[in-house]
Amino acid sequence: MGKDLIIKVMNHETIDRVPWVPFAGVHAGKLKGFTAKEVLTDGQKLYESLLEVNKLYKPDGMPVVFDLQIEAEILGCDLLWAEDAPPSVNSHPLKDTKEIPCKCKIPEAKQGRIPMVLDVMKKLSAEIGNETALYGLICGPFTLASHLRGNSIFKDMIKDAKYVKELVEFCAEVNIKMAEYYIDAGMDVIAIVDPLVSQVSSKHFHNILADSFESVFSYIRSKGKFSSFFVCGDATNQMEEMCLTKPDNISIDENVDIVKAKETTDKYNIVISGNIPLTTVMLHGNQQDNMKYVVDLLDSITKDNLILSPGCDMPYDVPIENTIGAAMAVINTAETREMVANYQAVEEDIEVDLPDYDHLKKPLVEAFTLDSATCAACTYMWGAAQFAKEHFKDEIDIVEYKYTTKENIARCKKMGVTNLPSLYINGKLKWKSIIPSEDELFEEIKKNMN
Amino acid sequence: MMDILKKIAESLMEFEPEDTIALVNEALASGIDAKTVLNEGLIKGMDIVGQLFKTNEIYVPEVTMAAECLQEALVVIKPLLKEEPSDVKVTVVIGTVEGDVHDIGKNLVAVMMEGAGFEVIDIGNNVLAQTFIDAAKEHNADIIACSALLTTTMAVMPEVAALAKNEKFEKDVKVLFGGAPIFEKWALENGADGYAEDASGAVQLVKDLVSRK
Repeated sequence: MGKDLIIKVMNHETIDRVPWVPFAGVHAGKLKGFTAKEVLTDGQKLYESLLEVNKLYKPDGMPVVFDLQIEAEILGCDLLWAEDAPPSVNSHPLKDTKEIPCKCKIPEAKQGRIPMVLDVMKKLSAEIGNETALYGLICGPFTLASHLRGNSIFKDMIKDAKYVKELVEFCAEVNIKMAEYYIDAGMDVIAIVDPLVSQVSSKHFHNILADSFESVFSYIRSKGKFSSFFVCGDATNQMEEMCLTKPDNISIDENVDIVKAKETTDKYNIVISGNIPLTTVMLHGNQQDNMKYVVDLLDSITKDNLILSPGCDMPYDVPIENTIGAAMAVINTAETREMVANYQAVEEDIEVDLPDYDHLKKPLVEAFTLDSATCAACTYMWGAAQFAKEHFKDEIDIVEYKYTTKENIARCKKMGVTNLPSLYINGKLKWKSIIPSEDELFEEIKKNMN
Repeated sequence: MMDILKKIAESLMEFEPEDTIALVNEALASGIDAKTVLNEGLIKGMDIVGQLFKTNEIYVPEVTMAAECLQEALVVIKPLLKEEPSDVKVTVVIGTVEGDVHDIGKNLVAVMMEGAGFEVIDIGNNVLAQTFIDAAKEHNADIIACSALLTTTMAVMPEVAALAKNEKFEKDVKVLFGGAPIFEKWALENGADGYAEDASGAVQLVKDLVSRK
């Protein structure tokens, strides 16, 4: 099971393959047609979306909610909401006053959106917690301090380091309290997500921030759970200092060369996660790009102490098939390597006879898959076709074209199939990546019956 | 003379605005004209800051403080500057696009451009596409610089570029895109006249674009 892989890699044990953790935050909502705001404010919609992530992307581990503003909102920051991205902090309560908030302000479990998040965590833990490692994400102490103080915090680091240190210590206490709530709600890994760390020197990190991070990771360890340190941006020069705060895992984005960074994390026996590029590959690339990127990455790096993941929170609109392709490449690397090679090798002139779609005697359901035996989303897509066959029996024909042969790749090219899995009826694309419900599928088939 | 100008340049990295102002006043009192103090002292200093930032030798806190030294010194210098016919004045309108309130990167680019001697009109964050155009017209700008941190708000940038292309400006206004999720291919395909991957690069890009006009 996937969760075992995460536990083993965190314990530095030998494993059969590299674990896969897609950071589907607001993107989870896309799988069910919900907006970012809906999944970050409505527990039921978040829960349904995360179950879909677990089903389609076959993660070994997954975050439950990716929103670095939950704590800040409770501590008095105004939020600017968006329909297709997490909210942003729009006001800073300590902008004009250098105060350290009272400890009585540390969020309670009943405040803000915490009850909604805890409820989803508990339900998810009961439903899939045995098979998938669940990550509870917390806004890191430095980024949280910047939410409270605003951009002045950068000037403070030089002019009043003592103040910043105290403010970050307060935020670390917030982190510890949030970690306690999330661990009690069944989380296996607590991730401290602090994108701003990459924006300060390693000296500032060491002198002002490191102690706070170390105290948070130490607390998580004392509770018998794994800790992860997420950073965004070019944190190349901060890697060593980050390692010294003793997290179990460090997660980086595409701004850091993961092969070189892994040399540092390996030195400290820390697991590294990363770093499929969010924009150029996941959002703007195609399925082939994602498969190739992951295969190339895995071919360039040592496999121990490694988790494959997107660079950070996946953009809402990442094409679903891109993540399915990335998942396939992590879980079945050899097979995917072959697919990528075949795709590049296939010439347009391979002979493929397409059915005479306009003169079919009965509806033809064609499932184009990466491989229904190994790709979860493909299994469900082909499963839907098989279910229809059981229902309609001889009234319909079904066929699966796996991407594992050159002939089928050529067929995909000729048909213009770009997203796998896809379901076509009588030569027309009906569903891509998203699996149809029984009602939707049956209705569409009936429409095509003479 | 060179000694005091070098000290002014270096003072930006000492992070004490009063010291920079004192050195500027000392230079002016010794008879060095304001323009030389600006170009050979402060602008050279910010150029060094930009280079150090580009090579990850300094980070946002250091640039923020160097910028404060620069800005306080500019308050002293600006009233003394006399415009000459040969001066090439570059005006930049800069802001973070609608839906996005992240301004760390935008502020860095703004201060680097100010440090390069450009007139910078910072129109803030969460700025409507049309507001960029209106500000560019009002200030007779050469450059419109749009910033975004989010993959979702970067989509506003092509709107700004499209509006700019359809607008009748007095000058040939160039539009630049910047921010963490932006990459060159996307920027150029979506209406930008140029792309740079960091604040120092943005300054050079503006210089190149303006000199080509």
